[in-house]
Amino acid sequence: MAPGSTPAPATVLRATDVHKSYGKHPVLRGAELTVGPGQLVAVVGENGAGKSTLLKILAGVLPLDRGELAVPGTLGYCPQEPVLNTALTVEQHLRYFVAAHRLPDLDRGHELVRLLGYERYARSTAGQLSGGTRQKLNLTLALLHDPDVLLLDEPYQGFDWETYLRFWDLVDDLRARDRAVVIITHLVFEQDRFDVLADLNDGRLTPRASSREDNHAGA
Amino acid sequence: MPAPETSPTRSLYSPFPTALRFSVRDQTRNRLAGLLLLVFVPVWYLVMNAMASGEALDFKLYATGQVLRIDGGHLTLISAGLNSVTMITGFVVFDAVRKALAFDRRLVFAGYRQSTLIGAKTLAVTAVATAIALYTALAILFFWRPTGAGWFAVLAGFAIIALTYGAFGLLLGVLVKRDLEGFFLIIMGGLMDTFLQNPLGNPLANKPVLQWFPSFGPMQFAVGGAFGHTTLWGHLALGLGWAAAFSTVGLVIFRIRTRKRTGR
Repeated sequence: MAPGSTPAPATVLRATDVHKSYGKHPVLRGAELTVGPGQLVAVVGENGAGKSTLLKILAGVLPLDRGELAVPGTLGYCPQEPVLNTALTVEQHLRYFVAAHRLPDLDRGHELVRLLGYERYARSTAGQLSGGTRQKLNLTLALLHDPDVLLLDEPYQGFDWETYLRFWDLVDDLRARDRAVVIITHLVFEQDRFDVLADLNDGRLTPRASSREDNHAGA
Repeated sequence: MPAPETSPTRSLYSPFPTALRFSVRDQTRNRLAGLLLLVFVPVWYLVMNAMASGEALDFKLYATGQVLRIDGGHLTLISAGLNSVTMITGFVVFDAVRKALAFDRRLVFAGYRQSTLIGAKTLAVTAVATAIALYTALAILFFWRPTGAGWFAVLAGFAIIALTYGAFGLLLGVLVKRDLEGFFLIIMGGLMDTFLQNPLGNPLANKPVLQWFPSFGPMQFAVGGAFGHTTLWGHLALGLGWAAAFSTVGLVIFRIRTRKRTGR
């Protein structure tokens, strides 16, 4: 569906009773998550709690065993390990994904590169980039089509302080335009930034009390 | 504020040419393969030619039943060329396909049609395989000058085996997990396959069992054209059959491994 072609939906993502097992080992046992437009949601859990599994299911990368998933709008997914082509330059990555999304031009891509502060690497191949810059490109590709909901798996690993601040500026800008962001992390700094904080325990999500009043998402 | 309307506008970069361009780039960035072409191919020709020249060998053409008595050096040059082409093409395609698999999947999730990527990849592999075959066939001229028609038969044989091992590399690239497994299978497969067709190294050459190897068709076509003045189209088609079979299986697995997993 083209962004902007319908009125903003009440929810941009709804996962109901999600179950997933690896062999006999259950990872998710009835996880539920609802995300509204413009919301910032954190899914918090210890290592091995199934956070990445949940995000991959939400992104459609991994099939679920049982449950339902509804994503009425467009979705962007930023995997934890950057998925790039080491032979292509930053600029070529932008062109490839502009073609994938059939976008009219590279403007948004260039804007994101500027916002994340790595313009000087435009002609470097992904193989030549540092870990942090690869992460920025990874994020840029997930955001190129300005999705209604963005799924991020441990996004600020490898970011320096300045990039960390730029990242939050970018998130603020997305939210101001009613774009929702779901972040998966094992550590939450600055809890009050989030509308919803949900703990992933025993394969289920439990919402934590949050400082924001406009919280209308249930986990 | 809603996002700008994008879908009705024509994209600056159309999917197929973009995918083709970057697929070719992917297949040609392999520096080790470039070095192998520049150094290994001539050295391999030199060594094999020095080892076998002057010796007369019997080679059976299956289509006609004719047994040709030919210069072992020249025959071995064809074997050596086929062998180089199997290794280099297989290696180039395997390495590129394996490394790009996760990225291709991301492209599909971003909206690329799988068929567009498959078309671009197939065309890129064909172009690269043909270029490697052409180079290897040109390099043979430093050691041996066959007739014009004979050289074209050698080139066609090299091109078909390049396509076959390019397709084999593609299949392994979507199938195996680690580099080493793929390299081993390509090198051993290519070595066994091409070496067994030559009576110099294999006393069992000219035995019917060799018909079941991928390089049988290209070797028969090349030798038939270069020494027997016959054009064995059936054998060229047999070689193409192997290429088609490998690439079909490989592309089906590619399709499965890059598909979306939910019906959102």
